[in-house]
Amino acid sequence: MNNVKIKSKNLNVYYGEKQALFDVNLDLNEKEVTALIGPSGCGKSTFIRCINRMNDVIDICKVSGNIEIDGVEINDKNLDVVSLRERVGMVFQKPNPFPKSIYDNISYGPKIHGKGETKSELDEIVENSLKKAALWEEVKDRLDEPGTGLSGGQQQRLCIARAISVNPEVILMDEPCSALDPIATAKIEELIDELKKTYTIVIVTHSMAQAVRVSQKTGFFHLGKLIEVGKTEKIFKNPDNKMTQDYITGRFG
Amino acid sequence: MTKEERLKKRHSAEKRFRFYGLASIFVALLFVLILVHNIFSKGSSAFMKTAINVEVFFDQELLEIKNGATEDQILEADFYDITIESLLKVFPAQDLDQENQLIDLFTTDAEIEIKRAFLKNNNLIGKKINLEITASDDIDQLHKGNYPRDLPEDRRRISDFQLIIYDNLVENKKIIKNFNNYFFKNGDSRDPELAGIGGALIGSFYSIIICLLLAFPVAVLASIYLEEFAPKNKITDFIEININNLAAVPSIVYGLLALQILLATIQLPRSTPLVAGITLALMTLPRIIIPCRASLKAVPPSIREGALAVGASKFQSVFHHVVPLALPGTLSGTIIGLAQALGETAPLILIGMVAFVVDIPSTPIDPSSSLPVQVYLWSESAERGFVEKTSATIMMLLSFLIVMNFLAVYLRQKFEKRWN
Repeated sequence: MNNVKIKSKNLNVYYGEKQALFDVNLDLNEKEVTALIGPSGCGKSTFIRCINRMNDVIDICKVSGNIEIDGVEINDKNLDVVSLRERVGMVFQKPNPFPKSIYDNISYGPKIHGKGETKSELDEIVENSLKKAALWEEVKDRLDEPGTGLSGGQQQRLCIARAISVNPEVILMDEPCSALDPIATAKIEELIDELKKTYTIVIVTHSMAQAVRVSQKTGFFHLGKLIEVGKTEKIFKNPDNKMTQDYITGRFG
Repeated sequence: MTKEERLKKRHSAEKRFRFYGLASIFVALLFVLILVHNIFSKGSSAFMKTAINVEVFFDQELLEIKNGATEDQILEADFYDITIESLLKVFPAQDLDQENQLIDLFTTDAEIEIKRAFLKNNNLIGKKINLEITASDDIDQLHKGNYPRDLPEDRRRISDFQLIIYDNLVENKKIIKNFNNYFFKNGDSRDPELAGIGGALIGSFYSIIICLLLAFPVAVLASIYLEEFAPKNKITDFIEININNLAAVPSIVYGLLALQILLATIQLPRSTPLVAGITLALMTLPRIIIPCRASLKAVPPSIREGALAVGASKFQSVFHHVVPLALPGTLSGTIIGLAQALGETAPLILIGMVAFVVDIPSTPIDPSSSLPVQVYLWSESAERGFVEKTSATIMMLLSFLIVMNFLAVYLRQKFEKRWN
């Protein structure tokens, strides 16, 4: 068992009057893939958006409780979210490359954080990030072409490369394959397997099969509550909770 | 109803709708066509002016200057006698009255035109040259076929004797049409043949530049702040409603505001492009903010999230990603706002731009006219010659508007195409 990287304690999230998360206590292990499953609107995405404070963008969203990364509280007004997001990257449901060149998509993050002072350093970061995202071979000859011109699967890998480019410790993935075809999905899953050697990964998914394939640990959310969490094998073979059992066997959701 | 009948009904409904659509487009185009035809048929003749070929003899006895005179000397010298002498030689007049009628065929600026010829070449004394002296506006209109010469003499501004001279000139091919440079070069004048839009062009140009410099940065910064940074609460809602209301305020109200504040209180010089520019900027501001906010809103939120997720600050995500994407829409909104400002008349009338200004403004704080106000002024004038000038000015104004609107469309398409 790896060390705990992220720890949430009594996490509650409200969107205006509506409470979206209820007392979530969840530990995420270092260099491991944790899958979060559950029916739509159960709070999986809300949870991972707390880890990089992406919910700050939403005016009516209020977060209470604690989230610690490496033992440091991040749900703190005085915390600099910019440096937090440098450590915690995110990949979204729909590929959202910047409407710029492939090169600029990758080099943007390092540039704003002052990594890669010279052109050759930047070139190296771009190449490494694209290689890690298994996209280098496909795009190395057209780095100056727009990232939006790539196929859906390529765009998502470009977004993963963009997240990797600032060398984060954690990568959050919010249903990264929901807009992709099976072949592109397979490639991303392969990639996640490779990336977990270096990064702590949290993935939200609607596909039970995907959770089984890529994750070591699985958490099941329902109506804003964390119902059950444990080793993926256990959750899918022999869950403790009846609701988990019903969900994974497709009786509701 | 059987299935076939229902199907038939559906098809005929669609056909009917297509017909209505086509008909409305046709009607709209027809009106545009009538408008354009009306303006062109009235205005296109203003770009030519009628001139009469006159032989001018620079008689030393009638001039107090010598060959090689300096510019100042020439400008001060009296060319009146020489002008009268030359003009009278065009046709034999019997008495003083006929002489006056003959001289009235020419513009009041005939002396200045002869002086100008001498300024170009100051060695003309003792020589004869042929000059094309601009005709008076009545002869100009007569020659362009706009003058009803079959009216009885007492209801005509052109006498029978003048008609005889005119016919004689036409027969001898002494009457010609040439390009009307006065129309573009000169300021306003009481004489239609001398009046031009030079002053109005410069005045409009200065006004629009001042309007752009004031309105664009304020509008862009305001919309970026409101759209990207401002919290969504009652105050910002209130501001938003007010901006929309301001865009709908009749322009004459802005004129009254400027009259009270800029002219009466701050005492800026009246009738100037400076005041016009400030007034138009006030009016244009909400009209730029609205499209500018719309184009910021059109940038997908995923772009902002993407930037924030790699650790960009709010400021960086806005200025590195959102603003560049919103720029084409912002620019075209600005240009369309400016095009509206260019055609605005009412507020400018209130701030005194309706004054009769002959001089061409050299700075934005000189009294000046502007294109739409010039149209208004000339459309009220009684002289026949101003009718074509009015239409020609509208043509100029419309062509500027068309160019600006094309530019707006071009900018939007060019920059939006780049990545999609």
